[in-house]
Amino acid sequence: MTDASDAVVRLSGLRKDYGDTLALDDVSLEIHRGEALAIMGPSGSGKSTMLNMIAGLDRPTAGTVVVDGEDLGRLNETGLALFRRHTISMIFQFFNLLDDLTTLDNVALAAQLVGTRASQARRRALELLDELGIADRRDLYPAALSGGERQRAAVARALMNRPALLLADEPTGALDSRAGEQVMDLLIDLNQIGQTLVIVTHDPALATRCATRVVEFSDGRVVREHELERTA
Amino acid sequence: MSAVWRAARAAVRRRRLQTAVIGLVALFATAALVVAVALLDAAHAPFERAFAAQRGAHLTIAFDAEASDEDLAAITEVEHVAAFSGPFDQAVLDVDAEHGDLVPGVAPGPLTVVGRDDPGGPVDRVDLWKGAWADEPGEIVLNTVPDPEAPEGLFPLGLELRFPTGGVFTVVGYAHSLTGTADAWVSADQVAELHPTARQMLYRLDDAETDGRVEAAATAIGRAAGTDSLLAVQSYLTLKEAVASGPGVYVPFLVAFGVLGIAMAVLIVANVVSGAVVSGFRHIGILKTLGFTPRQVVWVYLTMVGIPTMIGSALGAGLGAVAARPLLQDAFSGFGFGDDIAARPWTVVTVMIAVPLVVAVSALVPAARAHRLPAAEAIRAGSSPRRLRGQGVQRRLAGAPLPRSVSLGLGLPAVRPGRTAMTMASIVLAVTTVTFATGLVATVSAYQAASDRTDAYQVAVYASGTGDSIEPELDDAAMEAMLRSMDGVEYVTAGLAGSVTVAGHSENADVVFLRGDSATLGYTLVEGRWIAGPGEVAAPSAVLDDYGLEVGDRVVFASAAERVEFTVVGELLAGGPGPEGFFADWRAAEMLAGGYSNRDGEAQYFVRLDEGTDGEAFAASIEAADPSRDAVVNTADASGVLGIISAAVSLTVMLGAVAALGVFNTVVLNTHERRRDLGTLKSIGMTPRQVVAMTVTSMAALGVVSGVVAIPLGMLTHRLVVPLVAEAARIEVPKALLDVWNPLVLTALALAGAALAVLGALIPARAAARISIAEALRSE
Repeated sequence: MTDASDAVVRLSGLRKDYGDTLALDDVSLEIHRGEALAIMGPSGSGKSTMLNMIAGLDRPTAGTVVVDGEDLGRLNETGLALFRRHTISMIFQFFNLLDDLTTLDNVALAAQLVGTRASQARRRALELLDELGIADRRDLYPAALSGGERQRAAVARALMNRPALLLADEPTGALDSRAGEQVMDLLIDLNQIGQTLVIVTHDPALATRCATRVVEFSDGRVVREHELERTA
Repeated sequence: MSAVWRAARAAVRRRRLQTAVIGLVALFATAALVVAVALLDAAHAPFERAFAAQRGAHLTIAFDAEASDEDLAAITEVEHVAAFSGPFDQAVLDVDAEHGDLVPGVAPGPLTVVGRDDPGGPVDRVDLWKGAWADEPGEIVLNTVPDPEAPEGLFPLGLELRFPTGGVFTVVGYAHSLTGTADAWVSADQVAELHPTARQMLYRLDDAETDGRVEAAATAIGRAAGTDSLLAVQSYLTLKEAVASGPGVYVPFLVAFGVLGIAMAVLIVANVVSGAVVSGFRHIGILKTLGFTPRQVVWVYLTMVGIPTMIGSALGAGLGAVAARPLLQDAFSGFGFGDDIAARPWTVVTVMIAVPLVVAVSALVPAARAHRLPAAEAIRAGSSPRRLRGQGVQRRLAGAPLPRSVSLGLGLPAVRPGRTAMTMASIVLAVTTVTFATGLVATVSAYQAASDRTDAYQVAVYASGTGDSIEPELDDAAMEAMLRSMDGVEYVTAGLAGSVTVAGHSENADVVFLRGDSATLGYTLVEGRWIAGPGEVAAPSAVLDDYGLEVGDRVVFASAAERVEFTVVGELLAGGPGPEGFFADWRAAEMLAGGYSNRDGEAQYFVRLDEGTDGEAFAASIEAADPSRDAVVNTADASGVLGIISAAVSLTVMLGAVAALGVFNTVVLNTHERRRDLGTLKSIGMTPRQVVAMTVTSMAALGVVSGVVAIPLGMLTHRLVVPLVAEAARIEVPKALLDVWNPLVLTALALAGAALAVLGALIPARAAARISIAEALRSE
């Protein structure tokens, strides 16, 4: 169990309305450093909305989001962009790689946006691709990669700037079972070396294998929360 | 069709921005074309209408005064002569300076007076617009252009006009002959007492469309009359050419603007519709899945484009008609065409139909792509990684030592080469237009400076007032001596304005006789040299053209008293001040004698001052020394070229705005297509400023390249069109006036493309920076 003072994310009284639709309703939650948290729930339950709030991709209608000591409500768009560069990274169900960049350039991009020199960024990107076992695919474009390879490349890009928090939205949702397994293993490995992880998933198997705690959502509210012994 | 209509209407609602862009492009293109076509039409139409209404004379022929009525009646049987009026006896009276400027339509010099008992008749139905016809002895009607806006009293009746050689006449009416058959009319009986020198016959021909036809008829009449009795022939085509030269100046460059405008409209519409098809792949797939036939899909896209185009064209036609009116008024005022000067309905309607047709044709090509696209492929588009063009370019740029947002932006145009090419082409057209307009304005301004000659003389001194002027304190010699003795005076040239008859022509010519430092007056020579003696004349190109003269030719001037032969030694870019005419040496005035002897108070003086001498103070000191003189500071007057400059600037701004809209549209399309990528980039930390930098860079790069490509094209257009403008204005343009480019101007023009691109890209770039990441990534 982690000490409350180790909280990387503090959500309090979070509410999000989309017109007449209530996506989040008075959600309060803490996520601790080094934790692997799985957020589960049916479609439309508010889990992805909450992930977007943590990543600063969307703003709450009410409540506060504090990530790594930063109150996101106080940041303007540029401040949020800098926050995303340095504090969090995301991996998505559909990978979101840029189709006109090679695997290597997709990964290096995150560091280059910070101002890292191209050669230095590429060196680090290559190290990461090597660690994730796809260094030989570095010059290929996303269209030429398998689903699992694309998601590994996305994970490599997410790790480029050494984020305090890694957010994964249905990371295995678009993968076949074998590729899904590989990505799960990768996430577990990352958490085991200290990477804080928040995973949004429908998949109980993924939650059971990767997470140390599960938060279940329904109709925009947290309905259940329990800790797990990782089965991996 | 209702399903097509509903789908098109929904598409219009969904693509409000692109719909607005199409509408605006159609609006601007239509407006520019209406102005161009209206001017093209107007260069001929008002003259033709007014000429037909007056049954103007296609040929005005002066026969020897001895020719009998029977002889002249015999030569009306010539082939192609449809109608004739005459013979009318014609006399030349001298108007002296004392009366010349007092009566509207009468200037000092010879006055051609024709004896006519009736303003009507089969040919040249003179428009008697004020007063009565001259029926009684001692009555005269003056030929002046009706001016409805003239203040009451400007055309007074009952004025006495006294001729030194021909008695006293009372002005009983004002009339206007578009053919210009006389300066004034008296009764037929009266003219007999004025010692007529010629008999005038006026002819209408059954075919007078070309110079050849008119000349053939003139030759036939001359042959029938015998060359001895035929004194002078004037074709209405000369008059028509002179009338057309006003608006004619506008036509070449307006046509150039019109062509550039329509080309740009086609490019942008094609780009917009292609973009709508590409970005609407999924929509097309859904329509086909719902059971729309390929043809119906094409109709959906044509209707989607047609709605804003027709609205834009209708508004543009109205705007063009309104914009054309002041230009037409400016070009035609003073020719006596009445109020019938406006864009004719057919010009407006034609353009209003033509623009949507052109747009429809340019929309057909991309719409045909929608026709061919299989439904499954269309629906699948965007759901899986794409193999994009331009990947090699991005790969090379990824390692470039540039900020990543800039290098990403530089690579974007390579992804959609077709769209990039069309966007570049519209920027090329816009910068070509800017370059051409810059050159045109520079040339016109240089011409104006050459006409104003503010460097050549700073103060002009004239005889003050008119008939009741104060007696001059100083005679001519004393005045010149005083001017030369004043502090700050560098050169003094004296000028005496006169009017002479040019042998072989019925129209009088203005002549300025010069004395003193005339070579310092700074007239720009197109050919030949400045006058150096009493037997030489120089004149602007238009004047030489009027009299069919070239440098080296000989010309005979006649006053009431003398005939003197001169050699044309110089062709000038422009004349002035005052009406354009010949320049001759002062001694020539004495040779012509009569009304041109040196009389006190008539001479004008052009004074060049030393640098630093205050022109205003100098002018005031002259008026103090001799209150009978007006001293006027020579200031630049751009009014003569303001019409061209303002039209060029307005059209350039209009076409520039259209090009910027084209860029705007491209960025909107690119942003729409790369919405997911933008969301991704922002999710990994791209700041709003970096998004703007990337997006603007993608267009600025195109702008720079387009600017460099466009400059030579603009220079070429300038080189081709300006001589046509000059020809229409009857000016010979020296090479120096075409070489208006310098490195500073060219650098600024090269940046114009980038500026246009940035201008067009900025708003959608800022919108792209504000894209909601959550929405962008959800939209996948």
